[in-house]
Amino acid sequence: MSELVIETSGLRKEFRSRRGLRVAVEDLDLAVPAGGVHGFLGPNGSGKTTTIRMLLGLARATHGEMRLFGQPVPRLLPSVIDRVGAVVESPKFSPHFTGRQNLTLLARTIGAPTSQVDAAVETVGLTGRDKDRFKSYSLGMKQRLAIAATLLKQPDLLILDEPTNGLDPAGIREIRETIRDLGASGVTVLLSSHILAEVQQVCTSATIIGNGRMLASGQVDDLVGASTAYRVGAPDPDAARRVLTEAGFSVADGLLVDTDRPAEVTQALGAAGIWLTELTPVRRDLEAVFLELTAGTELGGDR
Amino acid sequence: MSPRLLLVELTRLRWRRAVLILLIAAVVLPAVIALARIWSTRPVSESEIQSVIDSNAQQISQCVDHPHRMGLPRNSTEQQCTDQIVSWYTGREKLSLARERTGGAGMGIVAVLAAIMLVAATTFVGHDWASGSMSNQLLFEPRRGRIWTAKALAVTIVALVTAAVVSTAYWLSIWMTVKVRDLPIVDGSFTDSLAYGLRGAAFAAAAALGGYALTMLFRSTVATIGVLFVVSVAGGLLIALLGLSEHWQPQKNVAAIVKNGTTYYVNVPQSCYSRPRSSEPEPNSECDEQRDLSPWDGVGYYGVALVAVMGASVVSFRRRDVP
Repeated sequence: MSELVIETSGLRKEFRSRRGLRVAVEDLDLAVPAGGVHGFLGPNGSGKTTTIRMLLGLARATHGEMRLFGQPVPRLLPSVIDRVGAVVESPKFSPHFTGRQNLTLLARTIGAPTSQVDAAVETVGLTGRDKDRFKSYSLGMKQRLAIAATLLKQPDLLILDEPTNGLDPAGIREIRETIRDLGASGVTVLLSSHILAEVQQVCTSATIIGNGRMLASGQVDDLVGASTAYRVGAPDPDAARRVLTEAGFSVADGLLVDTDRPAEVTQALGAAGIWLTELTPVRRDLEAVFLELTAGTELGGDR
Repeated sequence: MSPRLLLVELTRLRWRRAVLILLIAAVVLPAVIALARIWSTRPVSESEIQSVIDSNAQQISQCVDHPHRMGLPRNSTEQQCTDQIVSWYTGREKLSLARERTGGAGMGIVAVLAAIMLVAATTFVGHDWASGSMSNQLLFEPRRGRIWTAKALAVTIVALVTAAVVSTAYWLSIWMTVKVRDLPIVDGSFTDSLAYGLRGAAFAAAAALGGYALTMLFRSTVATIGVLFVVSVAGGLLIALLGLSEHWQPQKNVAAIVKNGTTYYVNVPQSCYSRPRSSEPEPNSECDEQRDLSPWDGVGYYGVALVAVMGASVVSFRRRDVP
């Protein structure tokens, strides 16, 4: 088994307010292996951001244990923080400073040289705009600056919380490509998102949470599951249905055959002189899995 | 606390425009006060004297006829009458280092510097909270104690250096003016004035530190200034309602620190008034209406408040979730 970069066990976070006790994260066991892009999927208010904030020491866990690179956090967070880049929720910088000034202050905090700032600015395509004030940036530029800040550390783990929020389609594609490239380059990426297509396109593995609890976790392909149904096309659908039913197949509307033996479908229809025009595996997508798993989970406010 | 973090915070302070404007105000306002003091104590010119003599010739002649009506001896000369009338119309106090410390603008300078440094410190760190950049900083240095200390040191050092330079410049300008005007200077008065200015600068730095600590506690500049306003108003009312002596007045304690000790008045028991008039009460005894307030009393008064606020601020920053 590969090394776990992120590990939580029995993680719980309670918020106490005048309205009473609210549990944002409950008994969460999260395991993110090294390498690749891991999706952290859940509806708004499911506890994704709270979990990330606890991992990064911005919020205190009520119960449970957390480890980054095998080190218990928040106790030993300082020893691993240089290996972790993170963007939590919206990019947060001083609006009156330029993008470069914001990056320079962060770089100096960790003792990174100015050349690292130049490299990060260039990587995210902010060259030429880096001397403009942060408040004059578009949302996409702000997101790119936030990613540039994470690159100052040359991290082994990148935690991105809804990085494509508010971006235009071109910006979304750009960010997704950057994430894929980073994952391919050996950086472990934890991508928190409520956008199912994003996770399915970009991630190799995923954890689905709802109402603060883990609902499922594993490789995206495993979560989606193997195809067990095939859509059949034939010149005479009624004849095809009759032949397949007689051959013992379960056939649903639209000539959807429930089987994991597609060769036998072609064989049965061929023997009856019916030639296939279509034989398409019908796969569940992550959306279907997600909706199944999160059905009935209460959606709270943003967590 | 690493020097690297301190340098980062000093750079952040230097780059923050609102703070820079406040620091400029901390130079300009005392400069204006100094110029106003120098102008309002300027020597009376010959033309001013002549103008007063010309416009009050009748009053001078009346004085010569009846000097006692003008408060002068009966045998006063015309020159004495003229001097008396001129002094009435051009009566300006003479600039004096000692008077500046006791009743002049010395305390005003301290008040201006302390107020500006406090606002600069709250503005500096309040912006970190308002913009959310505090959480970003913690993603690069998660040891919150170090962040708190680096920011505290940065605001205290900047406040102390600025206030010390401005105070010293103020007292130097007053001293030079007194020298140029050839007015008497008591021995040691200049060094006393510089020490007064440095104690004032230390108080301004402490005010900055207190403002910073409160803002880290409340996480908002507006909340900090609001709380300070309420405390100052409610505190004064409470002292009056409880009938506490001047010993507990904030301004008396500032004066005690800056002036290296001051005095305050208390209500003495009724029995003290039945004493023979000739016998003076022992200093600071039960029947002495005037009591001494030492600089250490003032340091204790503000020190306890500052330490309490700093303690609460550090504990809160280390324990509470950061948005």
